[in-house]
Amino acid sequence: MIRYEEATKRYGAGPPALDRLSLEVPAGETCVLVGPSGGGKTTALKLVNRLVEPTSGRVLIEGRDVASTDPVTLRRGIGYVIQQVGLFPHLDVAANVATVPRLLGWDRRRIDARVDELLDLVGLEPATYRRRRPEELSGGQRQRVGVARALAADPPVLLMDEPFGAVDPVTRARLQDEFIALQRRLRRTVLLVTHDIDEALRLGDRLAVLAAGGRLEQYGTPAEVLARPATPFVADFVGAGRTLRRLDLLSAADALAPAGSAPAAGGDGPAVAAGATLADVMTALLTTEGPSVRVVDADAVLGVVTIDSIRAALRRGTGPQPDAAVDGEAGVT
Amino acid sequence: MALALLVSVPPAVGLGVAAARRPRLAALAVGTAGVIFTIPSLALYALLVAPLGLGTTPAVAALALYSVLPVLRNTVVGLRAVPAEAVEAARGMGMTEAQALWRVRLPLALPVVVGGVRVAAVTAVGVATVAALVAAGGLGDSIFAGLRADDPTEVLAATLLIAGLALTVDGGLALVERLLRRGPGRSGRPGQSERRRRR
Repeated sequence: MIRYEEATKRYGAGPPALDRLSLEVPAGETCVLVGPSGGGKTTALKLVNRLVEPTSGRVLIEGRDVASTDPVTLRRGIGYVIQQVGLFPHLDVAANVATVPRLLGWDRRRIDARVDELLDLVGLEPATYRRRRPEELSGGQRQRVGVARALAADPPVLLMDEPFGAVDPVTRARLQDEFIALQRRLRRTVLLVTHDIDEALRLGDRLAVLAAGGRLEQYGTPAEVLARPATPFVADFVGAGRTLRRLDLLSAADALAPAGSAPAAGGDGPAVAAGATLADVMTALLTTEGPSVRVVDADAVLGVVTIDSIRAALRRGTGPQPDAAVDGEAGVT
Repeated sequence: MALALLVSVPPAVGLGVAAARRPRLAALAVGTAGVIFTIPSLALYALLVAPLGLGTTPAVAALALYSVLPVLRNTVVGLRAVPAEAVEAARGMGMTEAQALWRVRLPLALPVVVGGVRVAAVTAVGVATVAALVAAGGLGDSIFAGLRADDPTEVLAATLLIAGLALTVDGGLALVERLLRRGPGRSGRPGQSERRRRR
């Protein structure tokens, strides 16, 4: 668990880089710090491993103020994936991944075994890649090595600063998928910085939206941020396409027409799985003649979805205040 | 000559390390070493003979003084050229400043440092020749003896030997430099991107 308490960082006079940030990232979750440049995202990240010291306030890991731990010891216990990856160009892949275990004084056999395990984990065949040097790798492979290196000593906390920033969009999407799969298995407490709202929505269990001047505008799940932007800044940052994005976050089962209503009785049209996203359902609706699609789970028909039931699902949002969501949307477009 | 380099390289590198992150110290140190480097060798010997007497001592001292500039300057330049993200990664993963220096910054700067040693070594061969004037011996003696005896063969032979020595030293260190650029313990050739970056 990572907890910020009123953490502020000032560089000289002028507006602070980070302004009284308070938030808590539960253990095992991915929190994405997102916002335009100048929002203090990287500053916030670096407060955790003390590459930056707060002007006031504090940061706690597992309830312990990071300021009370020696920075070198602290950093060896925190995985760190930096911008531009920062692999050591004079060392091969294996030596790069082994950096922290070597600092911790592991014996050679244990390090070798761990390096192979990690390369497997990030999808790089150890026999092929161990002895390669960073300049012999593609951008995507370098990112993978960077992640493997950060995970080497099995840290419970992982800091990632624009980890997928330096690669082309196709590779980026694949790395994001891999990250999601990896995190589902490993359940680390991850703090990830990005300026890309789409990446934030995909990867984050929670988003912290930071505005210029280091102000936290909103902290919530992707669904909450999309359904109810807390401020005009957030609504603007999330963008006019957020209704479409919400369709990706809701499933067919969330939008069933009420049982007993007229369309529910109809029961024909194409079938979609209960776990399909509402975006998939919309696609099915748009390409069928009828007014509804059937939602099936295995062989059982759970019900039907219509345009009206999707509207209702969007209005329900992810909790109370359904009207606020609709008003917010109107304000943006 | 080798002794002079042995004496001068470690402090020059040390000074370079200290100066790499201190622009004012770097300017002062490189400037001072630069002034020394421009003193003609005869004049420097003359200055050194007064406190040190004749013989090998002033010769070694002069060579060491001349070596400081190229080694110091290349150390500063080499360290400053180390990619910032590699240094940040080193710190961020929990290396102490000393570990970051020995495991990341110096290894990455080493080819450039060796380039400086190479310049120093070649300079030293030339300057060492003149050291015959302060009774330090060496091949320079043969040249001066040949000149006095009006024996062009001896002068030519000694000159060729000295030139050969300089070329050998230069070539040997160039090889070391190339191997270092390629990286220790690896047989692969450097990739395009790396060559471009380090140039």
